[in-house]
Amino acid sequence: MAHHLAALISSLILLALAGAPATSQDGAAQKDDSAHASEQVIEPQNLYPPLPPQAAALMMQCSVPQSEVAKPAPLVNTAARIETNKKMRVLAIGSSATWTGNRAGNYPSRLEKLLENVWKGIDVEVVNRGVSGEIASVSARRLINEAAILKPALVLWQLGTNDAVARVPLVEFETTVRATVRMLTKNKIDVVLVGLQYTPKFVRDDHWFAVRAALDRIAAEENLLYVRRDKAMEFLAQTRVAADVAADDEFSLTDLGFPCMAEHIAQAMVANIFLRRSGDRRGAPVR
Amino acid sequence: MEADSKMGESLDPKHQAQPRRLAARALNEVDFWRGYALIAIFINHIPGIYFEQFTHRAFGLSDSAELFVFLAGFSLRYLAESRTENLAGMRLFMRLEGRAFTIYAAQILIVSLALALMAGAALLLDTPLILQWNNASAFFESPIQTQVGIILLAHQMGYFDVLPLYIVMMIFAPLVVVLGRISLRILLFYSVTVWALTLISELNLPTWPVEGVWFFNPFAWQLQFVLGYVLARPKQATDFIASKRTELRVLGLVITGIGLWLAIIQWSPNPFELPEPRLFFMNDKTSLSPMRILHVMGLVMLIGGLFDFAVRWKGFRFLAKPFCLLGRNSLHVFCAGSLLSLAGQIVRFTTPAGLVMDTLVLLIGVAAMLAIAWGNEWRITWPR
Repeated sequence: MAHHLAALISSLILLALAGAPATSQDGAAQKDDSAHASEQVIEPQNLYPPLPPQAAALMMQCSVPQSEVAKPAPLVNTAARIETNKKMRVLAIGSSATWTGNRAGNYPSRLEKLLENVWKGIDVEVVNRGVSGEIASVSARRLINEAAILKPALVLWQLGTNDAVARVPLVEFETTVRATVRMLTKNKIDVVLVGLQYTPKFVRDDHWFAVRAALDRIAAEENLLYVRRDKAMEFLAQTRVAADVAADDEFSLTDLGFPCMAEHIAQAMVANIFLRRSGDRRGAPVR
Repeated sequence: MEADSKMGESLDPKHQAQPRRLAARALNEVDFWRGYALIAIFINHIPGIYFEQFTHRAFGLSDSAELFVFLAGFSLRYLAESRTENLAGMRLFMRLEGRAFTIYAAQILIVSLALALMAGAALLLDTPLILQWNNASAFFESPIQTQVGIILLAHQMGYFDVLPLYIVMMIFAPLVVVLGRISLRILLFYSVTVWALTLISELNLPTWPVEGVWFFNPFAWQLQFVLGYVLARPKQATDFIASKRTELRVLGLVITGIGLWLAIIQWSPNPFELPEPRLFFMNDKTSLSPMRILHVMGLVMLIGGLFDFAVRWKGFRFLAKPFCLLGRNSLHVFCAGSLLSLAGQIVRFTTPAGLVMDTLVLLIGVAAMLAIAWGNEWRITWPR
């Protein structure tokens, strides 16, 4: 109950601070991601077109500037699948919190509802194959096999936290992720990487930062949509601490970060589907 | 997974008269390799540990799970054909179903302890991240559903998913024994058929409340168990194996050699380019793909029987003793090892990384497993 109240208060404060979510995303995105956008030759005004009103409304409680959450990249295969089939399958796999929430449903089922709400008339099926606590190399093996069988338009791969924790050698981590991502994109499957969890202490050692840097690198070089979960959680944590709603221990911080995950991913996906439609045609699938 | 006297016959007759015959202290091949598999499983269940690159998983296409299940089938045969046990009819049925229940109880116990270990560590270290490890987060977020899932074996925590397979195999073990007594060929035929149909249909048991499937698909993995059962007594089963020892060893060398080469070049079939039914050509542990069976059988052909030569050497006997001690008490050691692996994961998480810490984790873990095995034998063989 306290959490719900806290969420309500903080979202009101957040709204007051940031203005309407859709407009704040535009401004911040242009500022922060200009370097990345220029690499992709995407005109800045097309970076984050306004989200449809129903998408913005759904995401209010978890509102974080889009630039904080996602590095943009076009989702060409997903867009093509939606246009031709009116049906889309997403495979959710990965390390942590792939199971989250109870009454509200876990994050994949929540994501499914969010996306169907935004893309009216599109049948979205999110298949959850997440095993919490898995390191990337273990997920990767399952991921490739599951993707070959399920043939999704898009794979949501949540990774990094457990590799950082288990201190998996960085080279090994990077090689695994790159090889897996390349195999998926080669087979016309979009990949969305969902990054590390934010933890203000303890695990944020050199290795944690190195894994995060590796994910940044991979996302940029492989041109992948990358949802920076730690940034989103950090932003929410800071705004809540500022608003004196207190995330004074790691447990309440975790409670804070989890319920918004589906929202953050949905927000990034919706924004990037429109990214392709509104300007950048280079990434359009060959038909 | 057969601890206690299941392994049955000692190679040394003079020990057979000891209390409850458990004290089958003579070293034997099955116990030895089972002991090795238990240590390998302990290491492989601590992801990122330095020593994982030295378990045989790194040198081929299969890992200790295949070996372990193969050896479980192997020991079932010894039990089923033991002259002293005289197991038939209802007695055999009750013995094996009782065993299934014991393993079920063990599974519930270790899962409870693992969850408590994770919760305790999370509280002590103020790090809820630990609550997510090994697919445990469902329990902490939705205990109502997940508790039911655990009891029904429908919720399986990562690295705590082997025993559910054993429970299913023990439930069906009487059927294996009965079919095997009719004809080993019929048993093998049915087993291969079920396995093949499973790979074609991609049938597996679902998990709940986390959407997914059993990590060890029992419909597929029963073949590994049955192969162990069928090959446990090659001389009785068929003279062919005994007469072609050398040829089989060469074939085993070729298979494991290819496996080693593929592991070195890190080859893995691209599942997107495979023809249907794909599971036949993938390297998929869940459904026990043919290449994994082939590799473990290659290993068996190569090393099977070598123990009997090696054991004549005193130095080897000294080395083999602790392995056999672990193997003889495999259920206890496996359960302890699962929890020790989890403890190892937590220790590695809380301390600076390095070879010293990894070595300590390994040494303490193996020492604890040996202590559990020794304590279990002491308890059972203590004169009354």
